[in-house]
Amino acid sequence: MPLLDVNDLTTHFHTRDGVVRAVDGVSFHLDRGETLGIVGESGSGKSVTCYSLLRLIPEPPGRIERGTAMFDGQDLLQMSPAELRRIRGRRISMIFQDPMTSLNPFLRISTQLIEALQTHQDISNKDALKKATAALEEVGIPEASKRVTGYPHEFSGGMRQRVMIAMALITEPDLLIADEPTTALDVTVQAQILDIIKQRQNDLGTAVILVTHDLGVVAGTCDRVLVMYGGQEMESGTAEQIFYAPRHPYTRALQKTIPSLQTKGQELYTIPGLPPDASKPATGCAFFPRCPYPKNRDPMGERPDLVDLGEGHCWAACGYCDSSAPIESVLAKADEAIVDPLPVEVETAR
Amino acid sequence: MSGAEGSLAVVGDPREDLLVLDDVHTHFDLGRNFLSRESKGVVKAVDGVSLAVKEGEILGLVGESGCGKSTLSRTIIQLIRPTSGRVWFKGHELTAMNDAEVRRERIDFQMIFQDPYASLNPRMTVLDTLAEAVRTRHPDLKGDALRRRVAELLRTVGLNPAHMKRYPHEFSGGQRQRVAIARALAPEPKLIIADEPVSALDVSIQSQILNLLKRLVRELGLTMIFISHDLSVVRYISDRIAVMYLGRIIELGSAEDIIDHPLHLYTKALMSAIPEPNPRAERARERIVLSGDPPSPLDPPSGCNFWPRSPVPHDDRMKQVEPPFEEVLPNHWVAACPFCVSERVKAVEPA
Repeated sequence: MPLLDVNDLTTHFHTRDGVVRAVDGVSFHLDRGETLGIVGESGSGKSVTCYSLLRLIPEPPGRIERGTAMFDGQDLLQMSPAELRRIRGRRISMIFQDPMTSLNPFLRISTQLIEALQTHQDISNKDALKKATAALEEVGIPEASKRVTGYPHEFSGGMRQRVMIAMALITEPDLLIADEPTTALDVTVQAQILDIIKQRQNDLGTAVILVTHDLGVVAGTCDRVLVMYGGQEMESGTAEQIFYAPRHPYTRALQKTIPSLQTKGQELYTIPGLPPDASKPATGCAFFPRCPYPKNRDPMGERPDLVDLGEGHCWAACGYCDSSAPIESVLAKADEAIVDPLPVEVETAR
Repeated sequence: MSGAEGSLAVVGDPREDLLVLDDVHTHFDLGRNFLSRESKGVVKAVDGVSLAVKEGEILGLVGESGCGKSTLSRTIIQLIRPTSGRVWFKGHELTAMNDAEVRRERIDFQMIFQDPYASLNPRMTVLDTLAEAVRTRHPDLKGDALRRRVAELLRTVGLNPAHMKRYPHEFSGGQRQRVAIARALAPEPKLIIADEPVSALDVSIQSQILNLLKRLVRELGLTMIFISHDLSVVRYISDRIAVMYLGRIIELGSAEDIIDHPLHLYTKALMSAIPEPNPRAERARERIVLSGDPPSPLDPPSGCNFWPRSPVPHDDRMKQVEPPFEEVLPNHWVAACPFCVSERVKAVEPA
């Protein structure tokens, strides 16, 4: 039985301007000790997916419309607030993008570290402080016994994110959800933080959900990957499948748009059009309006089925495009179709 | 640091290159403590930069946050006057001019900023914003001729001229950055400084803007300094790359040389820290992991300023003496610290 099994998770926001379908029927599962990467651009619903699991969605306007999230045999989405409190911070922890706004600037690091411990365990102040110091040492903070009594502003950005990791892992949770943990950091510090997460994961056997927009980060850290777009799952599979045998047009196009150190000279591929507007949800595949693949019939209305390609590799099999064609030929055709490589964008944000 | 005989600057020649910087320092004095009168220190944001930008090229400037990239760009256009050092633009020495003269020169350099939400006036339509910028170069242009010019600018950056009466909030992030680019082009500048122009954009939009900038520089014969913390983006767009660390340029060379044959240990470490979207390569790769965070420019380490983070221990001399910025291979400059610069140079030099 997987540690976490999410099925048809759907979270909508009921705003004055209409219903925003932030997450629209997403399913995935996660085994103990495994790392799942959720990749997508802004507005793809990757963060809302994570917040929904811990029921951190502000209600109203948000509402989890349907779906199940079985965590170790219990449905997180049906739990009472008291039951949830026993899980949050003890069995499932979360770290966020910006460590400064998620630490309380008025409280010492020690106070904040101990709080998580004493909420869930009957432990004396002295023992808790000892554990907090050890936790800081494990994430590589020098002179931990001195710095544990410091305030957040005395730490640099990278050091604060280390404190956040120490805090999230001090209760030795089964699952760690990391929402863009390195986006606000420099690349050299990002490499350090990813190493620490990996190392602590090995020590504790924690499963990790890593939310990111950076395919490079996913390649280096994740066992399996879920690609999201416009609140929908586009493709999921092992890192190998997603990077070396991507099936969905969006996954392919996304990989083509990223400049890498190997890209020389040639123009970068661009996905035509604009990111989806979640308040005007697509009835069919969310990526359809920007899909570069040739269409063989009008796609209105139907959501593509998730098709299993074997060995856990799934994709939203849009039946309207011939996505078995190699991407290079499609992209060449797409470029021809758009005479100007920069099409005039007629649509606006509103 | 001394250059070749007869040359005014260490790197480049002010008579040939569009922009030349020679040993530029920009320091911010934090003042004195009110009671004790002790100095609060000096932030050495730019601490001895020598650089040349050739006409028609894209120079990428990379570095971590706090290394002084943005201060350097503001020093180049003299928004912040340097503490010492000289800056030439088109052969004229900007650092010797008074404010009024600099303002007249400034029409030839324009900036594009990271956040197009903050850099456009929300109360002005795109037409107003662009028309104002066009009239800095052509004060007499008005009416239909002015509109035609604005429409042309919008078309150049891939926007629909019919949208010129719209306000910035009616555009998406990528479109707004296009408006910001059009505004930078409006006064027909020679040099554009783009300060992290794609960092705030989604990956699928980022590639559109990168392609646009690259195409514009080629088609309009511009020169650009492209500032970013992302080496893979800089690699894509630049002809030459300058790597900055703690207020100094530590390596300068063609994009190929810097990426394929980096000399300085910091450049190598920076590159090995970039995660590649390739799981097999990622697993096989050996990283040069730097310890700690970038040090503060308030109290920078002396000597080769990379020593506190370097995996190769430095001797006492290099902790004291600033390494010279030397052209160790043709057109490939490096802060020649013997502990940071690779063995390859020594092997190649006798040839």
